[in-house]
Amino acid sequence: MQVTSSKKLLSKYKIMAIKLSGGKIYDPAHQVDGEQRDLYIVGEKIYHELPDQEKVTQTYDLKGCIVMAGAIDLHTHIGGGKVNIARTMMLEDQHQHPQEGDHLCRTGCGHAVPSTFTAGYRYAEMGYTACFEPAVLPVNARQAHMEMADTPMVDKGGYVLLGNDDFLLNMIEQGVAQSTINDYVAWILNASQCIGIKVVNPGGIHAFKFNQRRLDVDEKGPANITPREIIKKLSRAVHELGVPHPLHVHASNLGIPGNFKTTLATMSAAEGLPIHLTHIQFHSYGAEGDYNFSSAACEIAEAINSTPNVTADVGQIMFGQTITTSGDTMMQYFGHEHAYPKKWTVMDIECEAGCGVIPFKYRDKSFVNALQWAIGLEIFLQVDDPWRVFLTTDHPNGAPFTSYPHLIKLLMNRSFRNDAFNIINVDAQKMSNLSSMDREYSLYEIAVMTRAAPAKILGLSDHGHLGEGASANITVYTQQDDVEQMFAKPALVFKNGQLIVKEGQIVKTVHGKTHVIKPEYNEDIEKPLKKYFDNYQTISLPNFKISDDEMEECIGSSITVHPCVRD
Amino acid sequence: MQFNNVTCPHCGLLCDDLSLEVNEGLVRLISPSNSPCAAAFEDASINGKLPSAQINGKDVSLDAAIERASEILKNASQPLINGMIADVQASRATVALAEKTGAVMDHANSSTMRPNVAVMQRIGKVKTTLSEARNRADNVIIFGSQVLTRFPRLIERILKPEKSLGSEDTLSKTITILDAADCETSDQIDRHEGLDYHKVNASSLDTIIQAFHSIIQETPELTDDTDSMTRTLVELKNTLLSKNYTVLIWNTGLLDPIAAEQTIQTLTLMIKSLMTEIRCVGMPLGGSKGEITANQVVTWQSGVPLPTAFMSGVPIHDPVTHNAKAMLANQEADAMLWLSTYRSTDTPPTTDIPTIVVGHANMQCDNVAVFIPVGVPGIDTRGLACRTDSVATLPLKKIRDINLPNASDIIEKITQQI
Repeated sequence: MQVTSSKKLLSKYKIMAIKLSGGKIYDPAHQVDGEQRDLYIVGEKIYHELPDQEKVTQTYDLKGCIVMAGAIDLHTHIGGGKVNIARTMMLEDQHQHPQEGDHLCRTGCGHAVPSTFTAGYRYAEMGYTACFEPAVLPVNARQAHMEMADTPMVDKGGYVLLGNDDFLLNMIEQGVAQSTINDYVAWILNASQCIGIKVVNPGGIHAFKFNQRRLDVDEKGPANITPREIIKKLSRAVHELGVPHPLHVHASNLGIPGNFKTTLATMSAAEGLPIHLTHIQFHSYGAEGDYNFSSAACEIAEAINSTPNVTADVGQIMFGQTITTSGDTMMQYFGHEHAYPKKWTVMDIECEAGCGVIPFKYRDKSFVNALQWAIGLEIFLQVDDPWRVFLTTDHPNGAPFTSYPHLIKLLMNRSFRNDAFNIINVDAQKMSNLSSMDREYSLYEIAVMTRAAPAKILGLSDHGHLGEGASANITVYTQQDDVEQMFAKPALVFKNGQLIVKEGQIVKTVHGKTHVIKPEYNEDIEKPLKKYFDNYQTISLPNFKISDDEMEECIGSSITVHPCVRD
Repeated sequence: MQFNNVTCPHCGLLCDDLSLEVNEGLVRLISPSNSPCAAAFEDASINGKLPSAQINGKDVSLDAAIERASEILKNASQPLINGMIADVQASRATVALAEKTGAVMDHANSSTMRPNVAVMQRIGKVKTTLSEARNRADNVIIFGSQVLTRFPRLIERILKPEKSLGSEDTLSKTITILDAADCETSDQIDRHEGLDYHKVNASSLDTIIQAFHSIIQETPELTDDTDSMTRTLVELKNTLLSKNYTVLIWNTGLLDPIAAEQTIQTLTLMIKSLMTEIRCVGMPLGGSKGEITANQVVTWQSGVPLPTAFMSGVPIHDPVTHNAKAMLANQEADAMLWLSTYRSTDTPPTTDIPTIVVGHANMQCDNVAVFIPVGVPGIDTRGLACRTDSVATLPLKKIRDINLPNASDIIEKITQQI
């Protein structure tokens, strides 16, 4: 790659125009599949033609290079109390992966649960420019946002957790109008400065506080309502408020053999409205075979293929040491006997949620782990539409996010995948049809699932694509046969028009923004809320809400508000 | 002028229903009345001239003090950043300073924080938060009545609520408080009705906890010779097994410093064994000097908890080797920055190494190398603080404007000049 710049022009023009010349463009939002084109960066935006009165001050010759928008991770646990618990519990891992500081970068450490600065650097080095924390507890939202504010390089956002909070469960139990539930959902999005709504084991975390150890979709919990009712109400609220991101659902019965039936029931609970099933690999298990554990990837993929309102991210596992962090106290407690090393943390939280943190080592010679690995890949390969399946490892629960390049290679290279398959547990091999799957993801499809589709499903209109006027978040890869190498170390990464990474190395540090939505609501909802806070909570209502200026001044991140649009 | 919904940072409960009156430099707690925290707020009052920055006890300009502080830290071979009694923003600034100077960071309440962290690292934990305890618990066991003195509104705000989301049993919780023979009984015991208080014949709270664990594992046969402590604890076990949600409360500072880690491990193992059948959770209380805040910030920014050593250029958590108390005793630090913003009484430990104090404006610090008075978070500066349960973060308001600088600004300026 050749770089030319004109110093004379640099001084003459206030805004530098950068020309990205001759790269192969993969921009699925505009159906561009590897076309050779020039792009221009002026200020923070992308242009296809050089605007009048602008002069190119720097040209990157990108012949032989692949150009995509900056990647977006729509489900990664990078902030909030559970991550700090995980950091504390993973001391050996932290010490084994030190990050030295220099004139650009802050120090830090960690592989499975990196420190905030380190997480930002690792994401940028892989060409990611936005990351979304999927489990923001309302009462812990300030901390989650502070940690994300201290995660440099990338834009951020959070999905706020509902569906186990006494306030909502009581409203549903009392049969209040959907419009009142909508007001509450809109209020909590505003109060917590988030971009989406997540529900984790609907009603199950609440039930666990009453010593209930399992809750299926059509079973009534202690609040006298079913998970199905919670999903139905919340998915409708999200839809009617015009929240771009569908209800983000961590379904019931995570990790239980035979749970694919629960997952199918969860899909149907949305009654045709948009619903996003997260880390669906952990919810795609049958109970067949000698070990009473089998793959139901085919059933799940077929359901996704035939149900257009459903999207999913996979939550692929990778072999090695990691730590699982989840709001799902019920199922984390159920799985605590598998902890490695043998330690585990469970917390009940503020009549609204919970958290379970359990270190875990996935082993390729373990039947269950090997089959989990295969099931994730089977889902990727059997879901037809890459716009509706997303590349995640549920960082750090399935694996640290730094394993994405390896995962991409598994998807793009059949022989590499089969070589990997041939060394996993033999009994697991017998229970999987992975090696018979011919599909190899194309670069275009990878660009869909890591750029265009996440931006679309989050309502980030100027992200995830290379159209005229888009934010200049651009990742350039030097084309090479080994896609793992290619995706691990981009040649160039631009964040809002600034070059931040060159040949996989940070060259400039920047701070991203926090993406939020602010749906409107009837302020009367604050009357019952005030009563609820005064009577039962240990924080007052005014102090619970996070204002815009608090985000900027105290939490440390400015916000970008995205519109809510009803169909 | 009156301010409502003010957060109190003077214990880890972070009650946020306070009303304060500010009259120029004077601060007064209006409600709750008769609160032991009133004195801590009055401590922030400044009548007349603002205290000046000082070098060796002599008034100097703020810039000169910052410059001198930078020089001291720059020339030190092994600086120590200590105290850390501060809000989020100042804690953030301190991490950057520690990185740049290769310092060891530790907290004034490090010794009481460490046993909880160590046990979490070894076996994990099972915990609950304040609102959960308030609404869900029907049974509470408190180890040490002094917990009530240290967390003065625990009973009023958490354990004896007027209303509850739960059943009648959660409104009238069974609250048992255990003291060892030598424990001083909290005067709060007589102020609240219905507390089941036992002073048992044991040498320490740690002994009671170990005995309770044994009884939880296996109920001894009661005979005429059975001692009264065993009888009390067996009764407590029977109550616990009949209840729906039991919360065990302790404060590490009340435990035997040598045994505390073992004791907390025992508590955690006990809770985990009970959890196979029933719901039982821990609720350790701490955070009276902002240690929860400092530890949270350091953990997310550096990746490891306090104490944190940056001497090798990367963060290391080795509390045995690198902790402030040992470093000062063994003369392993040659300069110290003491950050203490909430109370004038949280002064630095006596040491003969050059000490920089970024401190509460009313702090008396004549004998330190540099003293820089700063605003009190929640009075002079806006900020954030983390509660005892490490879950809730509360806003601290700016309610007075007398031109006291932010501690974070001062630390950032010191860092910039190094």
